[in-house]
Amino acid sequence: MPIIAEYEYLKVKSMEEALKIKSEYGNKAKVIAGGTDLIPLLKENYIRPEILIDLKGLKEIYEIKIKNNFIRIGAGVTFADIIKSKTIKKYFPILWEASMTVASVGVRNRATVAGNICSAVPCADSAGPLLVYNADLIVVSEKGERKIKIEDWFTGPKKTSLNEDEILLFIDIPILKNKNAGCYLKLSRYEGEDLAQGSLTILKTGEEYKIAFGSLGPTPKRAYKTEEYLKGKKINDNVVSHVQKIIVDEISPITDIRATKEYREHMAKVMIKRGIEKTISRYYNGKPKYGEGMIE
Amino acid sequence: MKTHKIKFKLNGETVLAEVKPNEVLIDFLRYKLGVKSPKIGCDRGDCGTCTVIMNGKTVRSCLVLAVEADGSEIITVEGANKNKITQKLQKKLHEKNAFQCGFCAPGMILSATELLTENPKPTKEEIKEAISGNLCRCTGYEPIVQAIEETAKRENGE
Amino acid sequence: MKTKIKEKKQIKEIKKTYSELDAVGKNLNRIDGWEKITAAAKYTDDLEFGPALLYAAIVESPYAFAKIKKIDTSEAVKLDGVVRVVTGKDFPYKFGLYMKDRYVFARDVVRFVGEQVAAVVAKTPEIALKAASLVKVDYEEMTPVLDPVKALEKNSPLVHKDLKNYPHVPWFFPKPDTNIAHWRKTRKGDWEKGFKEADVVFEDTYYVPRYAHCAIEPHSVIGLYDDSGRLTMWTSSQSPFTQRNVFVGALEPFGIKHKDIRVISTYIGGGFGGKAGVSMEIIGAALAVSCKGRPIKVLWNRAQEFYNTYQRQGVVTKIKMGVKKDGKITALEYTLYWDAGAYVEYGANVVNAAGLSSSGPYRIDNLKIDSMCIYTNLPPGGPYRGFGYSEFLFGLESHIDRIAEKINMDPVKFRKINAIKEGDTLPYGAHMNPTGIQEAIDKVSKEIRWGVKEKSKDKNKEIGKSVVCFWKSPAMPPNASSSAFIKFNEDGSLNILVSGMEIGQGLLTVMAQIASEILKVPISKIRVETPDTDRNPYEWQTVGSHVTWGCGNAVKRAAIDAREKIFDLVQRVYCLDRSDLYLEDESVRCKTNPNFKLKFSDFVINGIQAEDHTFKGGPIMGVGMFMPEFASAIGDPETGQGGHPNVHYTTGAAGVILEIDKETGKMKIKKAVLAVDCGKAINPDLVKGQIVGGMLQGFATVLYEDMRFDQNGRLLNPNFSDYKIPTAKDMPEEVVPIIVETPQPDGPFGARGVGEHTMIPCAPLIANAVYNALGVRIKSMPVTKEKVALSLLKEKKS
Repeated sequence: MPIIAEYEYLKVKSMEEALKIKSEYGNKAKVIAGGTDLIPLLKENYIRPEILIDLKGLKEIYEIKIKNNFIRIGAGVTFADIIKSKTIKKYFPILWEASMTVASVGVRNRATVAGNICSAVPCADSAGPLLVYNADLIVVSEKGERKIKIEDWFTGPKKTSLNEDEILLFIDIPILKNKNAGCYLKLSRYEGEDLAQGSLTILKTGEEYKIAFGSLGPTPKRAYKTEEYLKGKKINDNVVSHVQKIIVDEISPITDIRATKEYREHMAKVMIKRGIEKTISRYYNGKPKYGEGMIE
Repeated sequence: MKTHKIKFKLNGETVLAEVKPNEVLIDFLRYKLGVKSPKIGCDRGDCGTCTVIMNGKTVRSCLVLAVEADGSEIITVEGANKNKITQKLQKKLHEKNAFQCGFCAPGMILSATELLTENPKPTKEEIKEAISGNLCRCTGYEPIVQAIEETAKRENGE
Repeated sequence: MKTKIKEKKQIKEIKKTYSELDAVGKNLNRIDGWEKITAAAKYTDDLEFGPALLYAAIVESPYAFAKIKKIDTSEAVKLDGVVRVVTGKDFPYKFGLYMKDRYVFARDVVRFVGEQVAAVVAKTPEIALKAASLVKVDYEEMTPVLDPVKALEKNSPLVHKDLKNYPHVPWFFPKPDTNIAHWRKTRKGDWEKGFKEADVVFEDTYYVPRYAHCAIEPHSVIGLYDDSGRLTMWTSSQSPFTQRNVFVGALEPFGIKHKDIRVISTYIGGGFGGKAGVSMEIIGAALAVSCKGRPIKVLWNRAQEFYNTYQRQGVVTKIKMGVKKDGKITALEYTLYWDAGAYVEYGANVVNAAGLSSSGPYRIDNLKIDSMCIYTNLPPGGPYRGFGYSEFLFGLESHIDRIAEKINMDPVKFRKINAIKEGDTLPYGAHMNPTGIQEAIDKVSKEIRWGVKEKSKDKNKEIGKSVVCFWKSPAMPPNASSSAFIKFNEDGSLNILVSGMEIGQGLLTVMAQIASEILKVPISKIRVETPDTDRNPYEWQTVGSHVTWGCGNAVKRAAIDAREKIFDLVQRVYCLDRSDLYLEDESVRCKTNPNFKLKFSDFVINGIQAEDHTFKGGPIMGVGMFMPEFASAIGDPETGQGGHPNVHYTTGAAGVILEIDKETGKMKIKKAVLAVDCGKAINPDLVKGQIVGGMLQGFATVLYEDMRFDQNGRLLNPNFSDYKIPTAKDMPEEVVPIIVETPQPDGPFGARGVGEHTMIPCAPLIANAVYNALGVRIKSMPVTKEKVALSLLKEKKS
């Protein structure tokens, strides 16, 4: 299927060059890294940019680097890079686990984490892990650099707080000092690659839980009330059945082609129960291994 | 719309070409260069028939612009036919009558080649994961998975 | 009775020959294997046509039902690079396979979302697409007909007001001034009496949605109408000869006859029925005729592949069944309301096929079947692997499990009691062919340990099992025929020319094995290629799982013809008695003269040198044709009795062990088993390939696939992101293929077809196994994990 839109293409040699174009063209300039979301949109003629800015010539976007108390993931880091990275697996295993569920190898070899959250679809697989890990997004423009908290990033379906003249450059994730474990649960129509019907991310550090959901509302989001309730609680059947009620209040799923509202609500309850079980098991026993048993 | 001069290696040979920024790699390979092993199945990254190996990794050539190929090294089945791992796999695929209509074969073979190159002893689950982005409507996948498994076993002298 | 004795004798004779077979029955490697594995195989869009090639883009209807008020092409024509813009005005002739109810482009009325209204031909695909967006069409929307049952209501809008004037085959019965395009009635015995005699009468309704074939290769066609008036079509097709015939039907007014059209079919990237008949190819033919002298390519994208090729029709089925306590079915009333779509030129025959066979593989003496082909404003229905049988079997086999439970009978025992036997009277009055269905049921039951309740290791999961039966006959005109040429080459190798299509099933290999068996030439020395209607002899279509049987018979006859010519020649030159001659190891041998050995390579082209130094003979060729001369489609319109529309049925049974998560509804197929009576497996490995592949396709239709339309008739999931077809991760844990061989007396070496059969039992298998595990009955396909989980939840609450 040919692309009808006509636009210029520039593989920039420096970030400054990219930002200059971005400030000049705004939304008429589209940034391309992996292109796996962008190119279908071009083919469908949904977007008609005037220029594409290819960042792939910039070395700094490929880094996965341990800084003082955080790890920096560049805008060019693909899901395949994440899966291969021992650093990510060690420090952020839930992000690693979620990355394994993104599309398929040939797409993961190209699709970037930054692109995933810039597309900002409610089912973005990396969103949940980044939310529970409290990632910071470093965006740049000609005016300078600013840091956006991941929880302030998603403003609506396919909408973010990125300004027209800005480019997402780095994802910084603080390193957790305490023992932690968690899981990414993805509900899909079958075993093969799928866009999540619903997802749940859980992170346990000590007595605290951080929980995020995807495809269960207009944007990926933290479940603060659920977290608050779980704080310091010893998990038993009573607590679980209570937390199931809270999570259903906190999400706002719709019926669409992938699932009904009813099933999403039901599965949110199942996922929170199983997710907590799995998280606790991982926390204390290190089992099941990350990447094993998504929703059993 | 300005055209761009690109230079890349295709199956070991240098290609020099001038492309428009809205040309897609799969169309460029098939219709401009006459390389027909990558096929068009869905044109949006879901089916895997357009798979090519770019800088050692499989990519969906329907999701890559031709201009992005500049400076890269691309291998299609026409080139992989000379690769030893691919050849061993192909022999097994033939023995197993692994394909029916054959349309998914080029993509499937490249995905399996990437797997066996990076991970010579894959588990059955890893094999399924590696080819799960290559849709086949005919075979039920079983003979393909078996052929990859047996290639790996033979490779490891088991 | 006489025929039965004759058949028994034939079967005995066929079986006697099996011990001597060299090529038939062997697991040989595909002769097209290396071509496909090295990517040397060429598909239609891989062919080169040079820089003169033109490209088409289609202007499509955004409405399900609307009048076309005006089409303005003026802006599109002005665009640089546009060669032509055509509309329905240019093609005022109807076409169709079994009923002429379509135009090439919609004229006056559009009847489904995505229907072609106009086309732009341009120098590049980009220009064509741009120009297509500049064509302005004014529509007047009408209320669409989207539900086949509501379509029968008196005040329903009519999709085709002119139905009474549509030409059709004599076995269709349209009801003018309604939306019923064809009504197949089958009546046998006294069903009212049958219900009265029953101990239990039970009725219910089942729903089957529409499905898409999802061959990985989209449809494509290139047409060239050259300056001499010859039209060559390169098509991705299961049906080159049928296409030629349909093209003539639509283009004859332009003075184009059969001899002027040449259809060339390359390898095709999957068909499953979707590339049978003529769908988008008609556009390629029409555009080629509009742009004389230049090749034109029409390439469907994935979305068009979903909404503008044939779809598997949806159906609402109502079943009423009566049974005795001893398990005997006393009567069946089966009404099928088919959502046949906007045009039924092919789909009406699916409805017909189901109407003849909805009893399933059971002997039912009192029977009333009404299979109604109903026009709706959804995309045209058509052939899909299974041809109506998957659809009616979902309800029927679900219902059988339920009624068996009502009389407290084991459902497998119930099936064994009622399973059809050789010689039983079929729904339309003819008699059943030899069948190994009992053997199939036994083998499948044993393989899944039927009767043994199994427990999951996981407390959240339950295990269910089921066994169902299936049958299917090729659905084809009674005079659908096959033919074959065989020619020798200098080295004694062979070329087989047929027009049966290699669509993945392995036809080329199987034809080579059949010829190899007769002519004693190894298949490594046999080439069979995809057809060209100018060069290859006639084949009706590659559909209905009939080419191993039909085309195979033609090849066998061609091989025998070549052999007889060889014997004629050898007898003439060497004065040997032909009855002593036989073939072995690529040579002619003689029983009475063990030293006589004449290698094929010594004479099959250049003849045999006689003692006087002259040469006798010449290039050896064989010709074979086959037509089922016993078939007839004409029966009584009110009862269906009297004809012999179906040539034979292939039967079998399938079973499954299914593990289900009670909370999520997630289902894992632990084991799937299918036993099919293929008469004789010419290549068992390829039969197994059909079983493993067909079952996964079948399971997908019941577990997660379905086409979803909105209230305006627009397809919501025309892509693989939301129409999920299985990946390698969705394979059952284990598939056990079982081959049963009860020879088909008129089949080549006893063979009959198996291609479609492997898919059709899968839907009721899952529905019944879900019930077996959880006690939840789901009556509408697909039986998704969502439906299972929510049904359980509902049950818990109530």
